[in-house]
Amino acid sequence: MLAVHSLTKRFGELTAVDGVSFHIRAGETYGLLGPNGAGKTTIISMVAGLIPANDGTVHVAGRPMTPAGTEAKRTIGLVPQELAIYPDLTARENLLFFGRLQGITGKELTRRADEVLELIGLADRAGDLTKKYSGGMKRRLNIGIGLLHRPGLLILDEPTVGVDPQSRNAILESVERLSVEGMAVLYTTHYMEEAERLCDRIAIIDEGRIQAEGTRDELITLTGGVDRINLRGGGSMARAAEALRALPAVRRVDSDGTGLLLTVSDGPTALAGIVTGAGHAGMSVTSVEVVRPDLESVFLHLTGKALRD
Amino acid sequence: MRGLWTMVANDLRQRIRDKSVFIFSLIVPLALMGVLSLVFGGLGGDTVELKPATVVASADDGDRLGAELLGAVESLQTMDVTVRRVPAADVRAETKASGADLGIIVPAGFTQAVLSGQAASVQLIQGDGGTLEAGVLVSVVQGVVDQFAAGSVTAAAGGLSGLPPGELGPLAQQAAAGPALLTLTEERAAAEQLSLRGTLVAGQAGLFLMFTVGFGVLGLLAEREQGTLARLRSMPITGTTVVTAKACTGFILGVVATTVLLAAGSWFFGVSFGSPAVVAVLILAVVSAATSLTFVVARLVRTAEQANVAQSILAMVLGIAGGAFFPVQGTGFAATLLDLNPIGAFIRGLGISAGGGSLRDVAGPVAVMAAFAAAGLLGSRLLPDRGAQA
Repeated sequence: MLAVHSLTKRFGELTAVDGVSFHIRAGETYGLLGPNGAGKTTIISMVAGLIPANDGTVHVAGRPMTPAGTEAKRTIGLVPQELAIYPDLTARENLLFFGRLQGITGKELTRRADEVLELIGLADRAGDLTKKYSGGMKRRLNIGIGLLHRPGLLILDEPTVGVDPQSRNAILESVERLSVEGMAVLYTTHYMEEAERLCDRIAIIDEGRIQAEGTRDELITLTGGVDRINLRGGGSMARAAEALRALPAVRRVDSDGTGLLLTVSDGPTALAGIVTGAGHAGMSVTSVEVVRPDLESVFLHLTGKALRD
Repeated sequence: MRGLWTMVANDLRQRIRDKSVFIFSLIVPLALMGVLSLVFGGLGGDTVELKPATVVASADDGDRLGAELLGAVESLQTMDVTVRRVPAADVRAETKASGADLGIIVPAGFTQAVLSGQAASVQLIQGDGGTLEAGVLVSVVQGVVDQFAAGSVTAAAGGLSGLPPGELGPLAQQAAAGPALLTLTEERAAAEQLSLRGTLVAGQAGLFLMFTVGFGVLGLLAEREQGTLARLRSMPITGTTVVTAKACTGFILGVVATTVLLAAGSWFFGVSFGSPAVVAVLILAVVSAATSLTFVVARLVRTAEQANVAQSILAMVLGIAGGAFFPVQGTGFAATLLDLNPIGAFIRGLGISAGGGSLRDVAGPVAVMAAFAAAGLLGSRLLPDRGAQA
């Protein structure tokens, strides 16, 4: 559905996007994960035909995407990061207006507007001016407008920024449902949890480049696939550390004075042996925490900085 | 084309809904017209009504030219004049006592003196009131006496050139009583046919038009700020369609608002602008010029707030220089600049129209406004878009 090849964008001396390539298949949700300023929105802007690329190509459903072209734009639905709705129109009027611009008319337009209003949970407030809506309601409408014409590719640019937890969950559920229905989704976020929950494949973006790409599990193996176990307690921690280092699953043991920090392979499986071994070595364990590797760990591993830096 | 009209309809719906277009394009200018009309136009309107006048006069009964002089005064068409005959010695006292506007003493032997080329003096005594009517009467007497003087000069010249005395009298009489060989016909130019109130109505309509068209093209900046421009650009419509739609919105609002203002101004202030067809052409021309200016502003500013400030400054400068509040005159280069002002051209055009001018007569002002529109569009194409660079 989407093929991006060697996409590059420069603003003066700054190269905001540097040779980015990826593709998305129908029914697949693809995430661009990276901190603010990584180049996600610039990529989105070129994919949606808002700005021209300096180099590289974008094809949507086989059609080249350019700012001047209109054919490829019929197959995309854009949900910009900033709200893009008219405050002096009702939700229904907003939907009808953008639907007409997509070439939908008459009863078909009315029917689709009703469907979208149901989907985003605004059917009972459809006649209210959107300037009277809460932030979450506006966000949901912002997404609904992008869905009205049933695009082959839905582009969501950080759709949950500044949204309350309830609306955020509703948005994520909507995206999951759309993906199941066969829509290709390009989703940018700097929230690791969203990328993990929604995306079939994820590209980790930093400084305008894709640092790594793959499924969640594929990305996590980049960190070596190890878990961390934190043991808290008292007693003879030095002897316990020595004993635990001898266990086959344990790769590393550190002490911070109040407990032991272990790096282990397959933490849940090894946990019972570790707790028992620590006890036999004279450590009185009062609490145990198993930390599994996540995308935050991957980003840290790849770039040396946290996602929210 | 469907996308274009969808956008225009959407813009118009929003403009109507937020009511600001009604306030700034109709209510404020109408209120201002009323206030300015009271301040500058007074309550009496634009025309001066001359009151009936009384003249106290003396002239010999048989003096033909004396009778002709008083007859000319009495038969004035612009005001009612009553001439009361009294003896010459009583004219001064009677003028003062009766409150008459003017006293006239035609000397004895006046006709004979004129026909023989001798000196003769007609005395005028103005009443104490110093009225406008007295001034008019003095001018009339002066004009008649000047014509008599021509006869006297003719007779004197004839005598000097050796004409027999018997021929001098008829010659002088012909010169004094005949029609003037040179006449001065005073008419007002068509551009001056607009009354003070008419000028105010036309000027305010032109001035606020500059604000009204801003609701169109400058709406692009508002779209950019509220994020909808990005979504519009991701739609299957061209960028030209988006800009054209904004221009159409501004143009439609401008035409409607200016038409309503001129119509309301005509109704409330009793002003006539002449042929509706000519006025319509003038409205289309000035709205085109104003709309083109908004394209230039849209390129130069970065935010909707900056656009509003720039548009207000331009509206006030062009409005004042164009004569929206009072006539502005210039000489040389300044006059040329003033002539190129679209609001000034609009007011001039309405003046010509109000004076009965045809489409051909308003070709000059229309050409100025069309040239302004073309220059604005060209300028907007050449200028960099600072807002897009922001």
